[in-house]
Amino acid sequence: MSSENTHTDTFPFGPAKPVYLNFIEKSFQKQIAYKFEYFVGVLNGLLFIFVFTSLWNAIYAGADTLEGSPFTRSQMISYAVFAMLFRISMTMEDNEIGRKIRTGAISMDFIKPVSYPLMLFSEAIGQTLFHWFTRVIPLSIISLLAFDAVMPQAPSAYVLTAIAWVLGYSILYIINFGFSLLAFWFTEVFSFQLMKFGLFTLFSGGIVPIDFFPDFAKPLIALIPFQYILYVPTSIFIGHIQGAEAIRLLLIQAVWVFTLGFICWRVWKAAQKKLIIQGG
Amino acid sequence: MFKNTPIYWKLVVTSIRAKMEYKVTFLFLLIALLFYYLGQLGVILIILVKFKNINGWSLGEMAFLYGLLVFSQGISTLLFSSLNYFENLIIEGDFDRLLVRPLNPLLQVLASSFELSSVAHFLIGSTALYYGATRSGLEWTFQKIVFFPIALAGAVLIQGGIRLAVAAVTFWTTRNRSLVHTIVYSSKEFILYPISIYNFWVQAFLTLIFPLAFINFYPSHFFLARDSSTLLFHPALQYGTPLAGLIVFAMAYALWKAGINHYQSVGN
Repeated sequence: MSSENTHTDTFPFGPAKPVYLNFIEKSFQKQIAYKFEYFVGVLNGLLFIFVFTSLWNAIYAGADTLEGSPFTRSQMISYAVFAMLFRISMTMEDNEIGRKIRTGAISMDFIKPVSYPLMLFSEAIGQTLFHWFTRVIPLSIISLLAFDAVMPQAPSAYVLTAIAWVLGYSILYIINFGFSLLAFWFTEVFSFQLMKFGLFTLFSGGIVPIDFFPDFAKPLIALIPFQYILYVPTSIFIGHIQGAEAIRLLLIQAVWVFTLGFICWRVWKAAQKKLIIQGG
Repeated sequence: MFKNTPIYWKLVVTSIRAKMEYKVTFLFLLIALLFYYLGQLGVILIILVKFKNINGWSLGEMAFLYGLLVFSQGISTLLFSSLNYFENLIIEGDFDRLLVRPLNPLLQVLASSFELSSVAHFLIGSTALYYGATRSGLEWTFQKIVFFPIALAGAVLIQGGIRLAVAAVTFWTTRNRSLVHTIVYSSKEFILYPISIYNFWVQAFLTLIFPLAFINFYPSHFFLARDSSTLLFHPALQYGTPLAGLIVFAMAYALWKAGINHYQSVGN
C-alpha cells in the first residue's frame, strides 16, 4: 500500500465506483512486480494438476468407467484439472487485515472516505483478474494439451459456470474476510487460518468430488458452505450437474453469499466499534 | 564443529522458552495443525474407502507411506525449520551478526528458531505408522527394526538437505519465499501417493534428480515387503534412503559453503 493518497484524489469528482476500479487496477499492477513468484506459481499449479490427473488415471486403471463413480475417466480428469484451475483462480491474500492490525496501518485505511471491506474486495478482484490472465489461461491451455481435459460443448455450461464461479468466489472471499476479522479479537489468527484451510481442502471438492464421500457425511457437508466454492462450479463446467439441479445449486450459493455476507457485515461493525473504543 | 555443543543447546533452549511463552496460542496451533493434516489425510482416506486401493496400495500400506513422510517431516521441521525464514536473516542483516561469532553459522541459524508445531507431525505420523503397520500386517523382523531409524535418518537428511539448498540460494537471490513454498512444501504432494502412479520420467526425476521417493516410497517397499521387482530401476533402491540422504545433504552443504563465500566476497 504505497500510493494510498492518490485514491482519495479522484473521490470528489464522481461517485464511489471509479475509486474501487482504481483499487482493482492498482492491485493488478502490484502483482506484475513479482516475476519470479509468477513462474514459481505457474510451476506449482502444474505440479498439482499433474499429481491429481495421475492419481485419477491410476485409480481408473485404464478403464473408461469405474464402479462406484458417476464420472467417466475423461470427466474425472476434467474435474481434477478444472477444480484445480478454479482453485488457482481464487487464490487470494487472506491475512491483509491481520497484518495491518498488528502494524497499526489499519488506522490509515479507516480514515479514507471509502468502505474498507469494499476496498479490500476490489483489491482481491484485481489480484484475481491478474491470476486469470497470467496463470489460469496459460495453465488451461497447457492442461488441455497435456492432460486430456475436455472443454464443454454447450454454451449454457459456460454461462452457468461463470455465475457459479462468481458466487463461489464470493463465498470464499467472505469466509476469508470473516476469518481475518478475528484478528481484532485474537493476537494470533494463523491457527484459525490453518483450520479453515484444512476444512477447505477436504470439503470444497477441490480434490475429491463430494460424490465420493461416504453417505453419512453428505448431509453434513450440505450444511457447510465449502462445497459451493469449488465442487459446484466444477461439476457444472464438466457437465456432471445440469439443468434444474444446476439452477437449484446456484440459488443455494446465492443464499450462502447473502447469509455469510450478513454475518460478516455484523462482525465488521462490531470490530469497528472495538477499534474505536480502543482509540485506534 | 561440535566442540561448542553447550552453547548451541543454550540457544535452542532460549528459542523453546520464547515459543512456550504463549501456551494457549501454542496449544491452539497444535489443534489447528491437526485439523490441517486431517484435511490432507481425509482426501486419501475418502479415496481409499471408496475405491479400496490406489495403484495396488491398500489403506494400511498408504497409511504407512503417509506416516513415514509426516514423521520424518516432523524431525526435519524440528531441526531445520529456521532455514525456511532464512531470507529474513539476510534481508535484515542479522546473518552478519552470526558470521562474526566464533561458532558455525549453520548451527547458529538452526538453533535460532524452534518449531514446536512438529509435535503435530509426530502425533499424526506415529499414528499413521502404527495404524498402517498393524493394518497391513507388517512383521517387525530384526532387520526392519535396525533399518527403521537409519531409513528415518536418511529421510530427514533428504528433507533437511533440500531446505538447506533452498536457503543457500538466498545468498545469491536474497529472496527465496516462493522457492520454499514450492520446493519444500508443494513438492511433498508428489509423495503423498505411491510414485508408481506417475509416468516414467517423473519417477526417474523423483529418484535421481529430486530424490523425494527415497523419503517414503522406496523404504516402504522394504518395510511392507512389497514385491520389489516392480520397482523402477533396481530392487536395491529400497535400501537406498540413507545413502540418498547423505548425498543430498553433502551437496546442499557444499552449496551453503559456496553461498557463504559468495556472500562474504561481495562485502557483506
